[in-house]
This record gives sequence, structure tokens and C-alpha cells, in this order.
Amino acid sequence: MFQYQKKLQFPVNIKNPNPKAAQVIISQFGGPDGELAASLRYLSQRFSMPYAELKGLLTDIGTEELSHLEMIGAIIFQLTRNLSVDEIKKSGFDKYFVDHTTGVYPVAASGAPFTAAYLQCKGDVITDLHEDLAAEQKARTTYDNILRLVDDPDVREPIKFLREREIVHYQRFGEGLRIATDKLNEKNFYAFNPSFDKNFKRNF
Amino acid sequence: MNNREHDLLRLSAVQFSAWELHMYLDTHPNDKLAKERYKKYMAEYEVLLADFEQKYGPVNQTTSKGNAWLSDPWPWDISKECEC
Repeated sequence: MFQYQKKLQFPVNIKNPNPKAAQVIISQFGGPDGELAASLRYLSQRFSMPYAELKGLLTDIGTEELSHLEMIGAIIFQLTRNLSVDEIKKSGFDKYFVDHTTGVYPVAASGAPFTAAYLQCKGDVITDLHEDLAAEQKARTTYDNILRLVDDPDVREPIKFLREREIVHYQRFGEGLRIATDKLNEKNFYAFNPSFDKNFKRNF
Repeated sequence: MNNREHDLLRLSAVQFSAWELHMYLDTHPNDKLAKERYKKYMAEYEVLLADFEQKYGPVNQTTSKGNAWLSDPWPWDISKECEC
């Protein structure tokens, strides 16, 4: 089960609304390498993880991603408050506004709505951990791009925190992959199919 | 930064230190030094959390009394001082 804490993992206090910035940052809410995809990916994959260390790791990182989703939501919410119709039109925010007003909807910066096609749960520890390592790097690149596009320090500070978390998660997943490959025997030296087939009689 | 923000930042910093060590211990379950540090930060966190909840209202719904859970601010609200 999950229990909520009425606080953010890292503070978000943005003085100046900026709908232009909100339109790119929303990709980390509902985009291809965003926090919603990350949390669903890890919290789904953990059921088929074979080792205790990996069950713990996927549970913990998946949970932290939900806190990051909340931080991104808070950033979007604060960047889009008190806007005039003129500001909405000038910033190009009108295309989002017409469908969602200033509600926070999981969507990519390009306008594509969130889809589970952004993530995979393959049921194979080696395959899934490689996806996770790639996912952390893709999210880190997205945060790098946001930092290239956004100047306001009130926005940059929480984004920099989130970027650093991708780097730490990548490191932990790398250690998880090492733990998994260390447990493979000599017959599985090339790291394929480590858990499924051994529980079944091969009949092909 | 008002008192609540200051106390919240301190609580979050200590909680984050404990969390980072907790996650490190997932892949290093036999690291004794990390376990000691985790315990130290968790003890500090428990004290700060109890103090914070007493001053400003519930962080966990399990410690909420009456309608305190519904009181402002919510985590996504901008702090009062910031409302310019």
C-alpha cells in the first residue's frame, strides 16, 4: 500500500508565472520520458523481479518517481496561475488551454497524451533493468534540455534536483544489474533469459 | 523564508539523507557504516517530524486529528511570502 505525506520532496516556490516554460516542462509529467512513465514502469516491473535487492530497488525508485510527478505538477500549477487571456495567446499556451484550461493533464510537450506505450514490462530481469538504465538517461537528457530553455532560478532549482536524481537512480540500477548478472551461472554467461525457463520443462 | 518554510526545508533535508541511504542499502545491504548513518538520520527525522506536525499540522494522515488534514497549505501551494 501507499501512504501520502502532505509535503513535496524538494520545495517548489515560483514567483513569476511563465506559460511558455510550463509547456515544455509538462513533458516530464506525461511525456515519453516523464515521471508518470517512470513510476508506472518500475512499480509494474517489480512484480517479476527475482531477487530481494531488486524488489526493494524497483519499489523505492518507483515510489520516489511519484514524488517527482507531484513536484512537476506543482511546477506546472505555479507557472500557469493568474494568466490573462492576452498572456495565454502570446505564449502559445492557448493550444493547451482550450482543452484543459489550467488543469494539469499528463501530456507531452508536443501535445501527445500520455500512453502506456512509453514504457515496457518484459518480465525478464536483464531486459527490464536495461530499459530502466536507458529510461534514467533519457529523463536526464530531457532535464538537460529544460535547463537549456528555462532561465528562472525558481524553476531551475527543483529541475536541477530532479536531474540529479536521474543520475543517482542510474547508478543504483547499474548496481542492480551487476547483482543480477553475478547471480547468473556459467550456462547463462551471456546474460539471457535468466529466470523463466528453468521453472518449466522444455518441450520444444 | 518564513519559519514554516525553514523548518520544512530542514525536515526534508534530513528525510532526504535517510532516503538516499535507504536506497543505497538496497544494493549494498551489508554496508555497516551506511546502516549506522541511516539510523542516525532516521532518529533525527522522527524528532523533526513530530516537532513540525505539532507546530504546523499533519504531514501523515495517520497523525491528523479532526479536520487538520484539510487545512492549507497543500504541497503545491506557493508559500504566502512568495505571493507578490
